[in-house]
Amino acid sequence: MTSLTGLVAPTERIRAAGRSAVRVPPTVAIAAVVIVIVLLWSLVPWLFTSYDPSVGDTAEKLTAPSGAHWFGTDHLGRDVFARVVYGTASSVTSALVAVSIGLVVGSVIGLASGFLRGAVDVVLGRVVDVLLAIPSFLLAVVIVSSLGFQTINAAIATGVSAIAIFARLMRAEVLRARGSVFVEASYLQGGNRLHALLGHVLPNTYKSVVALAVLQFGTSILVIASLAFLGYGDPPPASDWGLLVASGKSYATAPWLIYAPALVIVITVLSVNRISTWLRRTQ
Amino acid sequence: MTVSIDTTRPALPQIVPPARTSGTDGRPLLSVEGLSVSYGGTTVVRDVGFTLERGRSLALIGESGSGKSTVAKSILRLLPAGESAVSGSVSLDGRELFGLPERQFRPLRGRLLGYIPQDPSSALNPVRTIGSQAHEAAALTGESDARVRRRDILSVFERVGLPDPERVYASYPHQLSGGMLQRVLIGLTVLPRPALIVADEPTSALDVTIQKLILDLLSDLRRDLGISLLLITHDLAVAAERADSIVVLKNGIVEESGSSSQVFSTPTSEYARQLHADVPALNPDRYRIQRGAASGTTPADASPAVEVHAATKRFRARDVDVTALDGVSFTVARGTTHALVGESGSGKTTAVRLLLGLEQPDAGRIEVAGTQVHGQTSVGLRGLRRHLQLVYQNPFTSLDPTWRVSKIVREPLDRFHVGERADRARLVEQTIEEVGLPASVLSRRPGQLSGGQRQRVAIARALIVRPDVLVLDEPTSALDVSVQAGILELLSRLQREHGLSYLLVSHDLALVRQLADTVTVLQRGKVIESGAVDQIFARPKHAYTRALLAAIPRTSPGPGHPIA
Amino acid sequence: MSRSYGRYALLRAAQAVIVILLAYVGTFLVISVLPGDPITNMLRDPQNGLTDDEIQQVVAHYGLDKPVVIQLILSLGRFVTGDLGFSLQSNLPVSQLLGDALPSTLTLAGTALLLSVAIAVVIAYGVQYLPSRWARGVLRSVPSLFLSVPNFVVGLILIEIFAFRLHAFTTIDPDSAAATLFAALTLAIPVSAPLAEVLIANLDHESRQEYALVARSRGLSQARLFARHLVKPSMLPAVAMIALIVGELLGGAVITETIFGRDGLGTVVQKAVTSQDVPVLQAVVSLAAVVFVTVNLLADLVSPLLDPRLDATSRRKATRERDATSERKLEVPA
Repeated sequence: MTSLTGLVAPTERIRAAGRSAVRVPPTVAIAAVVIVIVLLWSLVPWLFTSYDPSVGDTAEKLTAPSGAHWFGTDHLGRDVFARVVYGTASSVTSALVAVSIGLVVGSVIGLASGFLRGAVDVVLGRVVDVLLAIPSFLLAVVIVSSLGFQTINAAIATGVSAIAIFARLMRAEVLRARGSVFVEASYLQGGNRLHALLGHVLPNTYKSVVALAVLQFGTSILVIASLAFLGYGDPPPASDWGLLVASGKSYATAPWLIYAPALVIVITVLSVNRISTWLRRTQ
Repeated sequence: MTVSIDTTRPALPQIVPPARTSGTDGRPLLSVEGLSVSYGGTTVVRDVGFTLERGRSLALIGESGSGKSTVAKSILRLLPAGESAVSGSVSLDGRELFGLPERQFRPLRGRLLGYIPQDPSSALNPVRTIGSQAHEAAALTGESDARVRRRDILSVFERVGLPDPERVYASYPHQLSGGMLQRVLIGLTVLPRPALIVADEPTSALDVTIQKLILDLLSDLRRDLGISLLLITHDLAVAAERADSIVVLKNGIVEESGSSSQVFSTPTSEYARQLHADVPALNPDRYRIQRGAASGTTPADASPAVEVHAATKRFRARDVDVTALDGVSFTVARGTTHALVGESGSGKTTAVRLLLGLEQPDAGRIEVAGTQVHGQTSVGLRGLRRHLQLVYQNPFTSLDPTWRVSKIVREPLDRFHVGERADRARLVEQTIEEVGLPASVLSRRPGQLSGGQRQRVAIARALIVRPDVLVLDEPTSALDVSVQAGILELLSRLQREHGLSYLLVSHDLALVRQLADTVTVLQRGKVIESGAVDQIFARPKHAYTRALLAAIPRTSPGPGHPIA
Repeated sequence: MSRSYGRYALLRAAQAVIVILLAYVGTFLVISVLPGDPITNMLRDPQNGLTDDEIQQVVAHYGLDKPVVIQLILSLGRFVTGDLGFSLQSNLPVSQLLGDALPSTLTLAGTALLLSVAIAVVIAYGVQYLPSRWARGVLRSVPSLFLSVPNFVVGLILIEIFAFRLHAFTTIDPDSAAATLFAALTLAIPVSAPLAEVLIANLDHESRQEYALVARSRGLSQARLFARHLVKPSMLPAVAMIALIVGELLGGAVITETIFGRDGLGTVVQKAVTSQDVPVLQAVVSLAAVVFVTVNLLADLVSPLLDPRLDATSRRKATRERDATSERKLEVPA
């Protein structure tokens, strides 16, 4: 009887494979739907509205939200919903550009710092310190003022100001993974450094970096909207969400000019943040 | 409705037997009936009942997941509120605890019912001094004068054997060792003289020699102060040695209960019998016959599988030189098991790292199968590591959580370019079968496996390149007793079948006695004693070895013991 | 502690100085890649009424005729000696411009700092201890909401409700106490969110620690457990966040001051950006870096003094080892 226990271990049951079937909470599902709609707005806005975002009917200026104009009309009689939908492309796409810059540059810096250590770590560490030392919004403002007032420049500025945070997380994650027992075990298994990096370290870091990227996507939407609000993005008749709010605040009698685009921003960012939180928790 | 608390009891260390007036009516002090606990619909404790007489001790034993800690915490009413559903009845000193509102239960805490936690290093607030926290316990005696409380605290610290009570009083928890912290906690728990102490694995986080001393202290205090003890433990031998009666739990259900001698010598349940057979301390000869056969096949004149000669390693940590290893020598004969024994800080881990070429020695010679390890280039080390593999202590950290088992076991084949690509998958399947796992685990990730299964995967990974030497770094210390026995059985069989040489690193002399042929005892980086296991166990020369041996629970199986 | 701590403090301070200088260099480089030549354009603006000779003087003073590297060295030299130059737009010394704007921004940011800490603590306490599970859940999602609302929207909503409808303050007098309070609230709300998240996580972590269980087993009430055991260890790690918060506040001031019509550093930045006033921009960014780095340095220096867990690791290890050995000596006949 006892010699059999060495062959099979009947008391050890294999844990239910339930982990692979991920349960998605309803709020996350709603958030995902919101993101999909917003992405569609930016890709195929004409499917969502029949109005032209830049041409209005002055006879219908500053009308309140109604069945015909969901978000009302502005001072030139343009449909605000159409302006929001057509403004999505630059508001959201530029946030994606910003995140890509931060993610790629930051991850490379963090990876090099954490994996190579030594002088590389010291030098890159100071670069990151400097990027962190300038408040990110101020840094974005300075960069955009240097590059010129365009939405794409605002995106680049936002991306650069996010490099440091990606670099720091990546470095910490790489250090954690690199110091783990299974990486040491891989050396004993005949692996070299490159194998350890590609085979073990990267697969164990990407999840938290992805969660940060999603979170940073939301933050970037806010920063770019703020830059647009201050007038550092494309000038009118462009309809970036931040710019819509900024031009809407001149019309105190038409609060929907502020609240409609503001609500769209909040709901979008809230959805993005919800997904990021979920990604972090399910790790 | 008011709760009367006897606050006039004298402070320690004056030892006065507790004169509890209510104690003579013959009712048990603690009585648990029909206790069930569930978390979110999953029942983890089902219909558990037992009683504990005044001044007696009871051990609740079981493996992880048995629900023993849950039972303890539900008696203490320390289960997280809102997450758990508790039913049944717990009565202490004639009071039903479960019906009591929190406002009336709170005064009983500490005064009637004390708690000693598992891990002393996290059981005190890290940002407050020990003294300031001790006052919370001292205040339970009703003493309002802070100077008197301080005196009480210092005297109880002395009573529990703390060398410098004043320094301990002023220290922060991280400044003390685990053993000292556990003494502090025990002292603070007995200070208000509770009728019952619940101790949840009070020594499992400590070194073996310290474990014994802490258990001795607990026994002394219990006897002197007439406190009842509910001891939660996974260790059958400890339970039998320290408790009057035993309750065996498995999967939240009582498998067996009764007096210690009864449960120990004539267990009625299959599970208790199995537990008994699996505890290394109680079965010194379990793998001996198999081992004897293996050693017989070894040619006596062969060169040793591993030879370490006068290895020294120093580390420099912040201006302080620490000699981790000081002229240590040992050999592992082919086909045998050599054990490196020592507690934390003894240098056994450093020795393993030198052997595997993960660190370079400052002096000395290290050879594996006649090839020297020290001073090798990384290419040379790679060639060497094919013949020398390591099984890590903790299978929860040694396997990459993002990889599937098939890939994990295959990794060394790919890295060392062993065999044809096409054959590798077959070899992986074969090895997985050899370590006693079903083929279905191949497509799983480590997170979906139990601890024992993970350790089998780790063994398969080490075994697949057919090494000569396996280094086993505490290979079972992270596992439950029954799982541990399965792993030891496996290792023993693999050694027999493949003529492997083992270097076993362990703190557990009972395990060493079961598995090893020769042993080297390390203390603070130096070899204290070495030789054949039988000889060291029969006639230990050094006091430290004797202390380690004394730490093995000493309960001898009764006559006519039925376990085969 | 003193020797290792002294060395640590010195090292950190030196590091801080280097980072400030590098930040200055970085900002200089970013601004000097400006398309065109805003300074000479500005000077040649006929409205300034400068003669060619005067322009030459100014150009020579700033070394604008020299290569970028020389300009950088000259500029850095002036920065180190405290000379921030003159505003191109107003011809006033930059230091005077900043000096005038600073008090207003400091009041705003200081108030916002206090408010954000207060909001975060209230949220964290509520999430941990509110009796109703439902209320805890609602409160738990508040930081996420705060993190999703743009600063300018918060400001516009507060103005709409409290200034235009409830008349709690007027935007005509943006420096009144009430207006300052609402401006600070605008600034504090997004900043309080990450702080609240950290406090919630820490409080949850600490209350699950064994020591909290042990303290409860000694009969401590929930309120005492919170006050005596949990507050300190869950707040201390947040000290390290203070520098980040200050940075956020300085950045957020640009928008908040614009919305509320306050004259502060943010408005200075806004004007400098629109008019490409390079010296002012360079000075404000450098000032922000100095503030950030200094606060960060202070947080790093104070943390080990407040949190015994952080005291120089060498000391911890040394004592632990000494204890372990002495205990064995005591207990094991060696």
